[in-house]
Amino acid sequence: MNENWTLFKRNLSDFWKAFRRNRLGLAGAFLVITSILVATFAPLLTPHAPSDIIRDEGGHGLTFAPPSVHGPLGTDDAGHDVWSQLVYGARISLMVGFMAGFIAMFVGSLFGILAGYFGGRIDNLLMRITDILLVIPDLPLMLILVATIRQLDLKISPLTVLIAVIGLLYWTSTARLIRSQVLTIKERQFVARARAIGAGHGHIIRKHILPQIMPLIVANTVLILSTAILVESGLAFLGLGDPTQPSWGTMLNFAFDRSAITNGAWWFYLPPGFAIVWVTLGCVLLGNVLEEMLNPRLTAHHLEGDQNMIAVPAKGAE
Amino acid sequence: MKQKLLYVLVLAAILLSACGGGGGGEGTTLRFGWIGKPDTLNPAYAFLTESYTVFDLVYSTMVTEAADGSYMGMLAKDWSVSNDGLTWTYHLKDGIKWHNGEAFTADQMAWAINAIMKDPDGWAASANYTGGFAEVTAPDDKTVVIVTEYPIANMDYRVSFLYAVYPPDFKGFTTSEDLQNFTNFAAIGTGPFKINTFDKDTGVLLLGAFADYMDGAPKIDGIVFQTFDNTDAMIQALKVGDIDVVNEVPASAFETVKGYEGVTATAINGRYFNELIINSADPNLDPAPTGNPALADPAVRLAIAHSINKQDIVEVVAQGLGTPGDSIVPPTLGGGFWHSPNIQEIPFDIAEANRVLDEAGYALGSDGVRAKDDLRLEFRLQFPSDSAVYPRIADMMAGWFNQAGMKATPEAVDPDALVAATTPAGDYDLVLWGWGPDPDPDFILSVMTTEQFVEGGWSDSGYHNPDYDQMYLDQQQIVDKAERQKVIWTMQEMVFNDRPYIVLYYEKMLQAYRSDRFTGFIESPLGIESAQSLLNVTAVK
Repeated sequence: MNENWTLFKRNLSDFWKAFRRNRLGLAGAFLVITSILVATFAPLLTPHAPSDIIRDEGGHGLTFAPPSVHGPLGTDDAGHDVWSQLVYGARISLMVGFMAGFIAMFVGSLFGILAGYFGGRIDNLLMRITDILLVIPDLPLMLILVATIRQLDLKISPLTVLIAVIGLLYWTSTARLIRSQVLTIKERQFVARARAIGAGHGHIIRKHILPQIMPLIVANTVLILSTAILVESGLAFLGLGDPTQPSWGTMLNFAFDRSAITNGAWWFYLPPGFAIVWVTLGCVLLGNVLEEMLNPRLTAHHLEGDQNMIAVPAKGAE
Repeated sequence: MKQKLLYVLVLAAILLSACGGGGGGEGTTLRFGWIGKPDTLNPAYAFLTESYTVFDLVYSTMVTEAADGSYMGMLAKDWSVSNDGLTWTYHLKDGIKWHNGEAFTADQMAWAINAIMKDPDGWAASANYTGGFAEVTAPDDKTVVIVTEYPIANMDYRVSFLYAVYPPDFKGFTTSEDLQNFTNFAAIGTGPFKINTFDKDTGVLLLGAFADYMDGAPKIDGIVFQTFDNTDAMIQALKVGDIDVVNEVPASAFETVKGYEGVTATAINGRYFNELIINSADPNLDPAPTGNPALADPAVRLAIAHSINKQDIVEVVAQGLGTPGDSIVPPTLGGGFWHSPNIQEIPFDIAEANRVLDEAGYALGSDGVRAKDDLRLEFRLQFPSDSAVYPRIADMMAGWFNQAGMKATPEAVDPDALVAATTPAGDYDLVLWGWGPDPDPDFILSVMTTEQFVEGGWSDSGYHNPDYDQMYLDQQQIVDKAERQKVIWTMQEMVFNDRPYIVLYYEKMLQAYRSDRFTGFIESPLGIESAQSLLNVTAVK
């Protein structure tokens, strides 16, 4: 196995030792992992399918039934069980969030590495594209894009459109971050040595640069996840989601459109709100802690020990 | 520091205005809340319902629809038609005045109708109503005569949309476009209310009572129209007494609004209905429609009809505020005169649906979907994405279809894209949508004609039945109401039996007003905001 990857693995176990002692990080991991588990085991957690209509003894649909009538979270405007909507909604919200997050990470990393490593004209071109995307306000741009793409009648599912639009717009910060890291790494001696003995660009990027920035990419992805989930909920709330599949955003959209507030049906709009907070808070906590621990600038002093750039904090952060 | 002070001031201002709202004491001005606002007050080119609500109060027509669906004189005290059905004579009331005090004369009415006939492009919103008019004259000050090229069956309905506009306001336009761009925000009419001010940005419209109104002045001082961005905010405003009337209460909020103290909520059968459209386009069209060919099989259509529980849709989706539907002509049109009583509803019966499909040779596959040869009962079930109602219906329907061995995949589609997919492309299987028919059945019947299945036409089903088309043309010229009724009943039965549409339910019209402030509203399909209703409204002392 390549030496750098072994190094990466060793760092990972060191990292886990440090991470274990970080309470915020653990809390974040707990929030994220529970929501992933809930999404995965949705059918086991609720006796109802999200499209089942809850009925009373007379067979009439129970709409806006409070939790006291139908537990644990009552029913929505169409007599669906809110709890099962919430649990199944986790699937859509997380799926859109993760897919979009990964697209963003991939595009961002690619742009960052290419721009940082090759520099010059490529850097200039890629960073100007990034700049342009950075200065355009995200939400209006996404609203227009999603609405326009849908109007084209391209037979793409609304969720795919959402994933693509979010993923292809939220990579800019990643690209900038990665680029700056690559810029410092590529000046290091071991890279210069590799180049001196004739290593190609592909080899250097794969074997020397990528392992070094991998932790950074991981930390950043977790942060982007939270944004992607928030944005998905926002767009779905504005009616740009897929109303045939429950997500937390579409739940809020229905709650708003179907007068849940006037009806005082708090059990309809509070749970998806809390669910969104749960996951995004988890991602932000986890992402920040990861970033703090993995980003050498935030932790290690440049005069300290290890030759490798991935700093290993001597003590747990605080 | 300065910033903070500003916040405090803004907060204080908000609190003060919030407190002030509930106080009342504005004389007897009725405060009216709605979503949306008129974009123009020019009857030549107005297409939003809000504009017509205002026209109804500010302008008058010779005849108008009464609360019971019949027609009564407004500017006209009586009217008659010649035996050949070609000459209509209207005798106007005495002492009619414009809002500016001038006397209203018959030749002004004739001028208004002639203006539409001369420039149908400019008067795009009214041109349909004068189709077939040959000549409109005013032989004397109190008489208007309309001569038509052929007998016009729904003359009363048409005349009820020909507004007496003030000629000097509309005389100066040389091109159709100039006329269309005229906003007419200071409209002068002969109606019970006159326009005081209209702020086109905020949508705040102030109407004052017209003291010289021909049938006696309104009993309230005026009306303020106020635009809201969302229904929840509007309902809250009604609850706390910031507004007195809400002309559209969402079904999902109705029960709650009914419980408010001092508020009366009204639910009456309206004209609006929701339907399932089954692709009925002619397969020989070019480009070929893409509907599942199995949908052409009457047995499949019958099975679909058996698999829809309309009562359940009404209870769950419309919160009980609707009636299961059958015909495309709602029972409210003409006070029930036009709705065919001969339609036998297809009952919800999944077992029967399965039996029908078995008999027709559609065998249940291992995946739970029936198929016969290469015809698989698998359908797209699309609906416009701007509604929160259709996804709910689609969900329920897909469930029932599934029990009958049919697979429907719900999909939300942008409304514009859906128009493009339906008319005249026929690029769909099943679509959920709705109509708000005119008071006269002519329009909703035209939706089923072959000639409307063109770009920009009204037909989305692609229904093509030469007999129906001929009857549609016939009924337009039958002036005798009983005769016309017979034809229209038969047409409805044809549509019901061929099932290009399965009408799901008729929506109730849901409105609410502060009954602790105002009384005397007339509940009818015209709405509590109709001129007749508001003329009757008095303040509670």
